[in-house]
Amino acid sequence: MAAENVLEIRKLSLGFGGLQVLVDVDLEVRAGEILAVIGPNGAGKTSLLNCINGFYRAQRGSIAFRGRPIQDLKPHQIAKLGISRTFQNIELYTGLNVLENLMAARHVHMRRGALLGALFFGPARREEIEHRELVEEIIDFLELEPVRKKIVGALPYGVRKRVELGRALAMDPALLLLDEPMAGMNVEEKEDMARFILDVSELRGTPMIIVEHDMEVIMDISDRAAVLDFGHKIAEGAPTEIVRDPRVIRAYLGEEESGAARG
Amino acid sequence: MRLEGEERMLDTLPKLLRAKARGAHGSKVAMRVKDRGIWQSYTWRDYFEKVGDLCLGMVRLGLQRGEKICIIGENKPEWFWAELAAQAAGAVAVGVFTDCVAREVKYFIEHSDSTFVVAHDQEQVDKVLEIRDELPLLKKVIYWDPKGLWGYKHPDLLSMGEAMELGRGMRRERPELLDELIDGGCGDDVAVICYTSGTTGLPKGAMLSQRWLVEGVREWSRADGWDREELEYLSFIPPAWATEQGLGIAGALVGNMRVNFPEEPETVQENIREIGPHVLFYGARLWENVNRMVQARMMDSTRLRRWLYNRCMSVGLRICKMQEEERPSGPLWRLLGWAAYQAAFRALRDRLGLTRAKVVYSAGGAVSPEIIRFFLALGVEIKLFYGSTEMGVVSVPPRGEVRPESSGKVMPWVEVKVSQDGELLVKSKFMFSGYYKDPEATARKMRDGFYSSGDFGYLDEEGHLIVIDRMEDLKPLSGDKKFSPQYTEVRLRFSPFIKDVLVVGGEQRDFVTALVNIDLENVGRYAEARRIPYTTFTDLSQKPEVIALVTEEIRKVNRTLPDYARIRRFVNLHKEFDADEAELTRTRKLRRAFVEERYGELIQALYGEGGEIQVEAAVTYRDGRQGVMRTSIRINDVG
Repeated sequence: MAAENVLEIRKLSLGFGGLQVLVDVDLEVRAGEILAVIGPNGAGKTSLLNCINGFYRAQRGSIAFRGRPIQDLKPHQIAKLGISRTFQNIELYTGLNVLENLMAARHVHMRRGALLGALFFGPARREEIEHRELVEEIIDFLELEPVRKKIVGALPYGVRKRVELGRALAMDPALLLLDEPMAGMNVEEKEDMARFILDVSELRGTPMIIVEHDMEVIMDISDRAAVLDFGHKIAEGAPTEIVRDPRVIRAYLGEEESGAARG
Repeated sequence: MRLEGEERMLDTLPKLLRAKARGAHGSKVAMRVKDRGIWQSYTWRDYFEKVGDLCLGMVRLGLQRGEKICIIGENKPEWFWAELAAQAAGAVAVGVFTDCVAREVKYFIEHSDSTFVVAHDQEQVDKVLEIRDELPLLKKVIYWDPKGLWGYKHPDLLSMGEAMELGRGMRRERPELLDELIDGGCGDDVAVICYTSGTTGLPKGAMLSQRWLVEGVREWSRADGWDREELEYLSFIPPAWATEQGLGIAGALVGNMRVNFPEEPETVQENIREIGPHVLFYGARLWENVNRMVQARMMDSTRLRRWLYNRCMSVGLRICKMQEEERPSGPLWRLLGWAAYQAAFRALRDRLGLTRAKVVYSAGGAVSPEIIRFFLALGVEIKLFYGSTEMGVVSVPPRGEVRPESSGKVMPWVEVKVSQDGELLVKSKFMFSGYYKDPEATARKMRDGFYSSGDFGYLDEEGHLIVIDRMEDLKPLSGDKKFSPQYTEVRLRFSPFIKDVLVVGGEQRDFVTALVNIDLENVGRYAEARRIPYTTFTDLSQKPEVIALVTEEIRKVNRTLPDYARIRRFVNLHKEFDADEAELTRTRKLRRAFVEERYGELIQALYGEGGEIQVEAAVTYRDGRQGVMRTSIRINDVG
C-alpha cells in the first residue's frame, strides 16, 4: 500500500510560540484520489497546506512526496518536484492577462535562458510554442477562451478563481493543493468549479488535497475526507461516514447543539 | 451552356461538395475554426473526406436513406460535417437549438423520428442520455467534443472520431459506396427539417428540399452579389435556423464563401475582428448592442476623440439624409464624407470587424431607423430582408436602396399578393415542402400555391415591400379595414420630439387618431432656440409652434402609411404617461386598454366636432397624495 501513496505525512507538528497549530497529524494521499481536508475555522487546514508546500517549517514530523522527504526543502524546490497549489485569497499577477499568468506558471518547466527567450530565437522559440500549446489546452479545458487576453485584475472573482486553478494546472502538477477553491462563489460557479475539478481528476488522474468548508461540495467530489480540529486529526474516511461521525458533528456544532441535533 | 448543364447535375449539397473537393480548387480553404487560440483550416478536400468518413460510419451503424438525424451543438465544422454526411447518405438533418432542455430535445427527436443524434459535448449528451430510454427509434448518439465524456460507458454512445474510423473501414471494404450514396440523391429530396416555433401549439417541422438549399440559395447569392469572389463569412447564428442553412451551409457550397467559426459564442466580437467578414448576419438586438458599445466607448474616450467622432458622425448622417431624400450630395459633401471616413469611420469599422463588410443582413424584429442610419453613416448597409423558413427569402433591399421602413424589393422568383384583409400571400419557386407529419397544418397555410404569411403589409408604388405587423396584433377600423397601432407608434417614437404616443382606432370609427406625449427636453430646447416662452409641460404642449412641430412629425410618418391608416387628428396630452399611475409598465410599455379607458372622454372628443376640450385628470403625486388637474387642450387636424 505504501508504495501507492503520493504523499505521506507522519506525526507532523507545527506551533507558533505557545500556539499549537498542528499536533501529530498523520495523513496520506493515495494515487489519483481527491482528499478533502475539513474542519472549523482555525483548525489548521491552510497551515497543513503551507507545511506541504514549504511555506511553513514544521517543528516535528516528516512529509514524504513520492517517497522522498520534503519537509526541509524550500517552496520553489517543492514546486519543481510537482506540487502546485491555489490560494484562498487568489494569488495571481493582477496586472498581467490570463495567458501571461498561465505562461508564467510554465516557468518551472522552461530550460532556456532569459536572453534567448527575450530574443524569441531558436530553441527558446520552439520551447515557447510548446508551452503555449500546453497553456492553450488548459484554457480550452477551463473554458477561459473569452478572457484569454483580459487583464486578470479586471476579471470577476469566480473567473479569477478559475484562472488560479489554471495556473496551478499549468505547472503540470503531480499533486494539487486547492485551498478553498469555491469560497465566495455562487451556486452556478461552484457547480462549474466542481465539474472542472472532477474533469482534472478524471483526465489527468492528478491527486488532490482540497480544503473546503462547503460540506455539500465535499460530499459530491471527494473520495475521502479528513477532519481537523484544533490541530488534531479527529476523523478520516469516506465523506458519507464522516458527516455522521459524532466527533465531527461536535467539532462543527459544539457540544450542546450536537446533543440537541441527535435528540 | 455547359455550365448550366453542370449546375443541373449538381442538384444536392453533397454533390456540390464532391465537385468542389475533386475540382481544381480542392486544396483551397473551405472552413476555419479558432481552436486553442489558433485558426485551424480545412480545405474542400478535408471537408469532403470528413463528411465521407462520417457518412460511411453512420451507414455502418445502421443509417438508412430517408431517416432523420438530429444535430445539437454550437456552430462548429462538425455540425456542418454531420449535416452533409446525413445528406450524402440520403438522410435528413434536423437542427436542434442548444439551449433546449431535455424535454424539448425529446420532442424534436421523437417528432422527427430521428435514428441518430449528433451532439456537441457533455452538456448535450447528458440531455440525450437522460431521455434515451423513451426513444425506441434512436440507434446511436455521436459526440464530437470528448471533454468530460472520457468516463462515459454507454452502449449507444460513441465519439465522432470513432464513427469516422468505422467509416474508413467501410471505405476500404466498399470504395465505391460513398459515390453511389451521393449519386442516389436528387433535388427533390428533403434535405433539412427546420422547426419553427409557432405562436400557438408545438413547433412544426418545415421540410426544406435540396432544391431550396441549392437553387434557392444560388439565386439569392446572385441577386445579392455574394456568389462570385471568394468571401469570408462568420458563422454564429444557429444552424438549426433556416437562415444559417442558407448562408453558412448552402451559401459556402453554392457561392464561394469561406466559413469561419468563432472559438466560443462569447468570443464572436473578438473573432469577427480577426476575420473581417464580407458577409454577415446579425440579429436586430446585436446591431443595437454594437451601436450601444460604440456610444459607451465614445463617452469614456478623450475629449478630442469625442469631438472628432461627433463631427464625423454628423457629416455621415447628413450624407445619409441626402441620399434618403435622393438629393445629389455634391463634391464638397463627398470630400467631407471621405475625410470623415479617413478620420474616424475606418478605425471604427476595423474595431467592429466591419472593415470588409459588403453584404450585411438582419431580419426578424425591426432594427430601428436610427441604428440603420448610424451604420449607413459608417458606410455599412444593413439589409433587412423579409422571409421565413416556409417562404424562403421573399424580399431584400437592393444595394443603395436601404430604407428604414422597407423590407426591400420582392425577389424575381417570388410573387406577393395582398389578401382582402391585408395579409401578405407569398408564392415562391423555393418554398418549403410542407410540415413534417402535419399535412393539415400545411393545408391551413397554403391556398392555391400561396403561403399565408400571417403578416400584414403592402407593396408601395416603387415596389418596396412594407411589412407592418403580425395580423393578430392589428386593430379594426370601420369598413372592415385594419391597421397596426404599434407600427405607427414605433415610428412616431423615433421622432426626437415625441416621447410616447397612443394610436387609436375602432370598429365604429372611420379614421385613426393619436394621443401624443411631447418630449419635454427636446421640445423645450426647440422652444428656447426659437424664443418661445413657456411655463409648464401643459403650457408648452399647447403652444401653436409645438403643435405645428408635432403635426409635421406625424405627416412624415403618415407618408409611409396607406391612406386609411393615416393619423387624421391628434392631441398633445397635457401630462406625460406615467408608470406611477399605471399608464406604463415598469419597462415603459404602454398599457393600451387602461390608457384608452382613462382618456375615453378625450378620445370621444377626437372623433367629435369641437376644437378644444376641457380635461380633468386625477394625478397621483410621488408622496401618494391625489390631486386633480384642470386644463383645456386643443384638438388638431393633420392636413
